[in-house]
Amino acid sequence: MSKGKARRIGLVIFVASYLSAVYWVFTKSTPLIDERKITVRLAHWQIEKGPPEGIDAVIARYEELNPEVRVQQVKVPGQVYRQWMRANFAGNNAPDIVEYGAWLDGLADLPVRYFDPLTKDLLKPNPYNEGTTLEGLPWLNTFVDELQEQRVNSPEPGQYYAVTLTQISLRLFCNVNLLRKITGSPEPPVDFDEMRGLFAKVADYSRRQQESVVPFGGSRDNANWMMVFYMGGIANGVTQKLDTTGILGLYARETQWKYLRGDWSYQMPAIKAGLSLLGELSDQMQPGYMGFLRDEAVRQFLRGEALFLFAGTWEATSLRQLADFPVEVWRCPQPSVNDPVVGKQMIGHYADGSSVTSFGLYLNKRSPNRAAAVDFLRYLTSYEGNKIFMEKSGWLPSIKDVPVAPEIASFLSPDDGYAFGGVNINFGGGTRAVFERNFYLMVGPEGSVDKFAAALDRDMPEAARGALAVEGRAARWAVLPQDSRVVALEVLMATDPGNPALALRRERLEAAQNLSESRALLIARQLEMIDAGKIR
Amino acid sequence: MKPALIHAELVGLPIPAQPAEVPRLSVTPRRVVLCVLLSTGGMMQARESASVAKMWTYVVDSQALEARVMLDDLEGVDARTRELALVVIALAKTPMSDGDCQRLDGQLAQLAEGSDEIAARAHYLRARIYQIQLATPDYARAEELYRSLARRWPQSHWTQLGMVKLGLVKLYALKTPADPRARLAEVAKLLEQVTEPTLRRDLAMQMGWAANFYELPIDEYLPYLIAADRVGGMLGITPDDLMIQIGELSFRAGHLEQSRAYFERFLAEVVPGGRTYNVQQRLLEVIAKIEEGGPP
Repeated sequence: MSKGKARRIGLVIFVASYLSAVYWVFTKSTPLIDERKITVRLAHWQIEKGPPEGIDAVIARYEELNPEVRVQQVKVPGQVYRQWMRANFAGNNAPDIVEYGAWLDGLADLPVRYFDPLTKDLLKPNPYNEGTTLEGLPWLNTFVDELQEQRVNSPEPGQYYAVTLTQISLRLFCNVNLLRKITGSPEPPVDFDEMRGLFAKVADYSRRQQESVVPFGGSRDNANWMMVFYMGGIANGVTQKLDTTGILGLYARETQWKYLRGDWSYQMPAIKAGLSLLGELSDQMQPGYMGFLRDEAVRQFLRGEALFLFAGTWEATSLRQLADFPVEVWRCPQPSVNDPVVGKQMIGHYADGSSVTSFGLYLNKRSPNRAAAVDFLRYLTSYEGNKIFMEKSGWLPSIKDVPVAPEIASFLSPDDGYAFGGVNINFGGGTRAVFERNFYLMVGPEGSVDKFAAALDRDMPEAARGALAVEGRAARWAVLPQDSRVVALEVLMATDPGNPALALRRERLEAAQNLSESRALLIARQLEMIDAGKIR
Repeated sequence: MKPALIHAELVGLPIPAQPAEVPRLSVTPRRVVLCVLLSTGGMMQARESASVAKMWTYVVDSQALEARVMLDDLEGVDARTRELALVVIALAKTPMSDGDCQRLDGQLAQLAEGSDEIAARAHYLRARIYQIQLATPDYARAEELYRSLARRWPQSHWTQLGMVKLGLVKLYALKTPADPRARLAEVAKLLEQVTEPTLRRDLAMQMGWAANFYELPIDEYLPYLIAADRVGGMLGITPDDLMIQIGELSFRAGHLEQSRAYFERFLAEVVPGGRTYNVQQRLLEVIAKIEEGGPP
C-alpha cells in the first residue's frame, strides 16, 4: 500500500472516530453542562430493601415538579455512619440533609453545632399539601404525632430540628408455609402460653423431620429486641409502683437512680419471673445465637430454619422481597394475667409500638441550598410525597390521612397497651453489656435464674452509676455554653427591641437551660448520696 | 425633589413635608462632597452595625469560631463591647480550665465596674463562672455576686434570672439546710423577688420537683406545679409531663376532680403517643372513684 493511500485511510478513520465521539458526547453521555442549577444531597443509613427505592421514587417525582433541582441520595452503611457524619461535618462536606437519631452514641454535640432548626418552616403550611385534606395546616400538624420525638429529644427544647418519614413497631414475622406444616393451621397463637405449645410442636416437627428448625431466628440483636420487649411488659407493674414523680412512666435516669437507691433489684419476684420467661425464649433460638448479628437471624429465617423472626418493621420489606414463602406480620402474643410463669406480674396488655414517628431528617446548617433542601423535605413529607414513599418502600407513612396500604396495615400499633418504660434488662449506659456478659449464668448447663439475678445485682450498680453520671455530665455540658447564647440574644434584643422572635428565643433558651441545669444539679446530688454510702 | 430630601430618602429617614416656599440651595462642589461623605458614612455605619449583629447571631447559633473571626475583622466597635464579646465567645467554648475562668473573671470584673447594660451583663456572667464554669463550683461567691447584682440593678432581667439560678443551687447543691422544708422556704423567698412570669414558672416548677424528690407531702408542693402549668409556654415534653404529673399527684392526694380535669385535658390537647393508654386507664380509675363518692 502506498504511503498516500495509507494516510487517506488513516485520515478517514480519524475523522470517523472523531465524529462518532462527538455524536456520543452529545447524545449518549451525561450532559456536559447540568441543566439543573441546584443539587441537594440527602444521606441516610436505611439501606435495607425499601427505603432507598421509596426515596428514589419521591426524588423522581420531585425533579419532575422542580426542573432546576437535582436530588441525590447518599446511602451510608449503618456500621460507619457515625464516623462518616463526624468526618463530613468537621470537613464541611456534609450533605444538605442527613438522617440522625438522638440515641446515636457520641454524637450529642452535632445537632446544635451543625443542624439548622426547622421550627419556623414547620409553623407554615406545606404548599405541596394544597388540594389535599391537609391544605392550610401548619406543616408541623401534618405529622401523625406532630413530631413528638423532637419534643422529647430536641437539642434545644422548643425547637424542631427534624422531620420524620415513618412509624415503627415491633412485630413477629412468620413463615406461614412452615407454620402450616408444623401445626396444620396458619392461625397465630392468642397469648404467650399458646406460644409455649407452639414451641413444643416446633421441637417435635424438627425431631420427626430431622430438620433443624427452631421457633426464632436468633442473633444478639434480635434476642435483645425480643427480651427487652417481653421484660418491659412484665415489669410494667414494678415500674408503675416506682413512679413517685407521677408522670406515669420512668425515664432512664430515674430508673438508674431508683435501682441505685435499692428501690428495685433483680431479686424481686416479678423480675425473676420475667428472667425465667426470657430463659424460655432463649431456648427457642439456635445455640450460640449471642455470637451472631441480625443478618444471620434474617438468613436463618429466609432459609426456613426458623419459624419466626422477631424484629422491627424496618425488616419487613427485605423479608417479603427476599423470602420464597409468604411472610405474615403478627403482633406478638403476650403473656396474659393467667400465664403460669408471669401472670401474677402482668397489669395488662403492653405497647408494641406507637404512633411516634421516626427516620428523622435534619438540615445541615451550612447547606448552600437551604431553600431547596427545605422544599424537598416539604415534598418528601407532603401527602403525595409520603404516599409515594410508603408505596415504594413498604414502610408506614408519617403523615396524617395518607391511607396505609393493606399489606402493611398490620404494622400499625393502636394505643392499646401500657408503656411505663423503666425497669428492664438494660436501662442505659453499660447495663446491656452487663446483661449479655452474665446471660450464660441462666441458660448455661449449670444455669439458673437465681445465679443470673445475683450476678446482675453484683455488676449492675457500677453500670447504672456510670450511666447516671453520663446523663448528669451531658446535662451540665448542655448548660455551659448557653450563657453566651443568652447574653448574645439579649444584646440583639437591645439593638432590635421590637423583635418578638428574639424575645421568645431568649425566653425559650433560658427555660431550656433551667431544665438542663436543674437536672445536672439533681443528678450531682444523687451521685453524692450514692458515693457517701447513704444508698447502695 | 430637593437634594437634601433625596439624601433623607436614601438613608431611610422620614421625608418632611415640603414648605410652600423652599429657599433655593446652590449646588457647590463643597456641598456635593459633603453629601457624598454623609451618604457613604451612613451606609458604612449601617453595614458595621449589621456586621456586629451578625457576629452576635453567630454566638446565638453556637458558632463561636465564626463569631471570633468576624469580631477580629470588625472595625469601629467600641472597646467595652469588644471586650464583652471576647469574653462571651470564650465562654461559649466549654468546658474551660479554672485558669481560663480566673482570667475571664478578671476581664468581667473590670467591665462590671461600669454602670451601663454591659456592666450588668458582665456581673451576671461573673456569678455564672463561679456557679457552673469552675471545676469545683464556688456557690458562696456566686451567691454574693447574685446579691450584689440585685442591689445594683434591682430592675434588671439579669437580677431576675440570677434569682432563679440561685434558687436551683439552693434546692439541690448546698449541703445546708438539711431539712428540705427549710430549703424550700429559702427558695420561696427568692421566688417572691422574681416577677417575670416565665422565670417564676421555671423556679416554681423546680420547687415542686425538688419537693417531690425530698418526698414531702404532695399537698405541700402541688400548688407550685399548678402555678407553673398556668403560666404555660413550656418546652419539649415538659408540658405533657406536668399535665400528667398534676393529674396523677392530685389523684394520689385525693383531689379527684382536679385529677380528672388534668387527665382529660391531656387527652384532649396532646396527640396520642406512648403514655396515652396509661392516662386513659388511670382516668377510668379516677372516674370510678368519683362515682364511688370518695378519695382513693
